[in-house]
Amino acid sequence: MNNIQNNLNVSRRNLLKFGAGVVGTAALTVGLGSQVNWFNEKPARADNNMTPDEALNQLLEGNKRFIENKRKNPNQSMARIEEVAQGQAPFAAILSCADSRVPSEIIFDQGFGDLFVVRNAGNVATPEEIGSLEFGTLVLGAKVLMVIGHKNCGAVKATIDGKAVPGQIASILDVIQPAINQNKTLEENIISNVKLGMNRLQASPVISQLIKDGKLKIVGGYYDLDTGKINVVA
Amino acid sequence: MTPDYNTPNYTRRDLLQYGVCIVSTALLTAGITTKVLDRDRKKILAEAPSCETSEITPEIALETLMLGNERFIKNKQKHPNQNVERIKEVATGQKPFAAVLGCADSRVPAEIIFDQGLGDIFVVRNAGNVVTSEEMGSLEFGALELGVKTIMILGHQKCGAVKATLDGNSVPGKIGSIIDAIKPAVKGKPTWEEAVIANVKLQIKQLKSSSVISQLIANDELKVVGSFYELETGKVKLIT
Repeated sequence: MNNIQNNLNVSRRNLLKFGAGVVGTAALTVGLGSQVNWFNEKPARADNNMTPDEALNQLLEGNKRFIENKRKNPNQSMARIEEVAQGQAPFAAILSCADSRVPSEIIFDQGFGDLFVVRNAGNVATPEEIGSLEFGTLVLGAKVLMVIGHKNCGAVKATIDGKAVPGQIASILDVIQPAINQNKTLEENIISNVKLGMNRLQASPVISQLIKDGKLKIVGGYYDLDTGKINVVA
Repeated sequence: MTPDYNTPNYTRRDLLQYGVCIVSTALLTAGITTKVLDRDRKKILAEAPSCETSEITPEIALETLMLGNERFIKNKQKHPNQNVERIKEVATGQKPFAAVLGCADSRVPAEIIFDQGLGDIFVVRNAGNVVTSEEMGSLEFGALELGVKTIMILGHQKCGAVKATLDGNSVPGKIGSIIDAIKPAVKGKPTWEEAVIANVKLQIKQLKSSSVISQLIANDELKVVGSFYELETGKVKLIT
């Protein structure tokens, strides 16, 4: 465990250079208990200076505004754009589907600099997605990581059906396959795929360490296409 | 060439069952193959009023994206297709007109910078907007099955993943897998911005290596373009 901790510290130093937004990095360094005090500047903004539970609440409150038709469209002004151009500190990281009906920033009523968003068909976690989300949590300091499946997901349905598909579409179905139980409903399989994605993310030493330290919460969500509501399912 | 693309109709028909809006599939089938299917298409269109039925060209799809970005930077957003009524409208099927492969960066939310809403754009995102097999598969699905007419690969100013690749330091966990995908784009000593643009071009090349995608392009059913998003102005500039 010490080795991992050491690696993380070194790596965080390196990653600081990568334009990652000093605020998030600072929050994280402090959070992970690093001995290194290389960050002494006062952050320009600290949007993710909150607990994982607060971050989750902020997501769910945004979703409530969305389904009640009370969106604020927050943090979408030119002033905000200019502000976050200097550095980002998203409070949440999302792994969701590429489906055009599940736009993260809209369903959570968030704006620029708020959500670090990874999307593909079937919200699967392969090395690039895991690496992206490690970056979003470790380096940028997102406090909650939500894996979102959605009603009638075409990728999960295609996996259940098991027919031949063209091109690289099969690579997605292969990743979903272990989540499928033919005796269960489509909705149950979609939720099972969310849990599988969460397990793969938690197998990352970077992410599991953040969770262990209480700096990150991972949750599973199910988006109801008919109502726009996100239900926490894991 | 993947041999399974030799039977595109068969495959498209199969995928039709997978919760995909039937109109888009019908349009695509008609577009790629023969006019024999026109009758079927019209029938399907008539039976699926919840789906958008306008047939648009790749050029119009691209223009729609660019016009949305123009509204956005001029602070004249319409926030279209984002209300509760729209949720219900698209719940039974989607027919996005474009796909965007963008960065996971929290400052590049595709729907906002293009001023689009639910059901409009199929969005794939990861750190560094790279094309590996899952992204390629996702975009093939978006193009072949959902019928998007334009795929835009969107790089952005100050991309952290590209910077990490330029710097070449060791990184923890799986972050290296992203850097590996970007690395071939970095040759010589490019500036940060040059490297971002080179990465977009590399990922376009990767995507076009898909026989599914290249076939759609050859049939004038799809356009693949690259662009650069300016973090400070909100402007999307096409890369030529």
